[in-house]
Amino acid sequence: MSDQKSAVDGKTAGAGGKSTPLVKMVNIHKSFGKVNALRDINFHVDHAEIVGLVGDNGAGKSTLIKIVSGFHRADKGEIFYEGEKVNINTPKDAKRLGIETVYQEQALAPHVSIARNVFMGREPTKGLGFMDRKKMDEESMGTLTKLGLRIKDPEAVVEALSGGQRQGVAIARVLYFEAKLVILDEPTIALSVKESQQVLDFTQQLKAQGISVIFITHNIFHVFQVAERFFILSHGEALTDVKKEDTNIDHLIELIVSGRKEKK
Amino acid sequence: MQRIVNRFFGFRASFTLIVFIALLVFFGIFSADRSFFKVAHLTALARLAPDLGIVALGVGLLMIAGEFDLSVASTIPLSSFVFTKLLGWGSPLIICLFVTFIAGMLVGFLNGMMVTKTKLPSFIVTLGTMLFWRGLIFAASRMMPIGIRAWLDFGSWLEKMLVGSLFGVVPVQILWFLFFAIILGVLLHFHRFGNWVFVTGDNVTAARAMGVNTDGVKIACYVILGFLCSFMGVMQNIRIESFTANQGVGFELKAIASAVVGGTALMGGIGSIPGIFLGTLTIQIIENGLILMGAPAFGISAFIGAAIIIFAVLNVAAARVSGK
Repeated sequence: MSDQKSAVDGKTAGAGGKSTPLVKMVNIHKSFGKVNALRDINFHVDHAEIVGLVGDNGAGKSTLIKIVSGFHRADKGEIFYEGEKVNINTPKDAKRLGIETVYQEQALAPHVSIARNVFMGREPTKGLGFMDRKKMDEESMGTLTKLGLRIKDPEAVVEALSGGQRQGVAIARVLYFEAKLVILDEPTIALSVKESQQVLDFTQQLKAQGISVIFITHNIFHVFQVAERFFILSHGEALTDVKKEDTNIDHLIELIVSGRKEKK
Repeated sequence: MQRIVNRFFGFRASFTLIVFIALLVFFGIFSADRSFFKVAHLTALARLAPDLGIVALGVGLLMIAGEFDLSVASTIPLSSFVFTKLLGWGSPLIICLFVTFIAGMLVGFLNGMMVTKTKLPSFIVTLGTMLFWRGLIFAASRMMPIGIRAWLDFGSWLEKMLVGSLFGVVPVQILWFLFFAIILGVLLHFHRFGNWVFVTGDNVTAARAMGVNTDGVKIACYVILGFLCSFMGVMQNIRIESFTANQGVGFELKAIASAVVGGTALMGGIGSIPGIFLGTLTIQIIENGLILMGAPAFGISAFIGAAIIIFAVLNVAAARVSGK
């Protein structure tokens, strides 16, 4: 067991009560052929908590996230959702539990309106499959307002929005459909400083709505401001799982650069 | 006011609409003896333009979903051939019609299956199916036209329905064109299926991730197009009173041109049924207008070609003006 703290958490799984994490992954292993993508990972997210999942390219961040969102299956290990053991075999299983992933750029249709993007594939209808466009317009604007994003025209096409606003539309979609855990995959990667700040604000808004967030990034500076806990991966192993108050940015950078576990 | 201007140019065929009206005025003034607005010409236009238009509606819908179909040039004569053969065997008209539609939809379905399962560019797949079906039709018919008058009485209900005129003036063809435009327009712009068509063409990865059955959407569009081709094949067959092997030749590209002139993007995700409707009419009036003005009929395609490029440029400019 590499990480003492996680080991203790592992034993209390399923105990119930207020301290039960929303999602908890225990002893996760995953390999692709001979490559060990993940080795013995213990990871959890509490209710309304923002976790920064940090690591270099190829560290295993995506693999871990794809396991919890149903795109991959772990070779070994268990997943608990609010203390109950669950099997997440398909993306649909994950969605049913309220686990939603927001992928950069892949999420939106650029030449289609905001309202049509928010309701893509889940359009409200007035019967016979005809779209309730008034509802789509009103609800999409309402959800964007909840995120602190004000856009006048729900019929505006996504291409006309800034990068930060686009992320807002993608996040509004999962917010509207009542996600419990939102996974943001490199949400700031192609954004300006100002736009990145906007995305960080959205993250805070999600927390304020009681939603948990996993914020994936390879840039610790992007996530340090908002995350309450940091989970650092390197070559498929967990380097640390530490609360913000127990660390500082220099220490985290040192860990990432050295790629070695903390000595305790 | 700014908002209205933006909305107008946000409609990608806005320049097409302006040019369409300008062309009407231009041809009205400059055609010999003002023949452009004479009833004889207008009824001819209303009888002939829907041949291209009905096919273009389906081709445009498919383009919005992000795919092409070159095989329409073979689906049309194939349908006409099937219809003629069934007539010749003495099948009741309703059966002839029904089976022909099924055949057209089947051709569309096969195209859709091949495109979605092989994941090859639809341009290549349907180039293949176009040549394949054409070869079969040429072989089966020995490229000889087959008249239908021996089997179809004058004034049958089918003839009235597909090539008659309303009140003795308005050709029914234009009404069918309008009918299909309205049905498809409502489907594309107001039904959830229409939203799936747009998002499939615009960002297929996102659409699939959001649970849209993108392969199913594409196949459905191919089937709709197959039906429209078979409808048009029969309609043209009855008008010219025969099957001919070169029915539909050149329609594959002319239909794409109509869609593009009407503001449809070649890359998918952008377009509208009113735009495609207008695009078809624009191409047809350029063709007719120039002939009425005395342009050499065999050189018309040069003007059409130039028009396509100009419209494609204008439509992109329209998108820029509106900031969309």
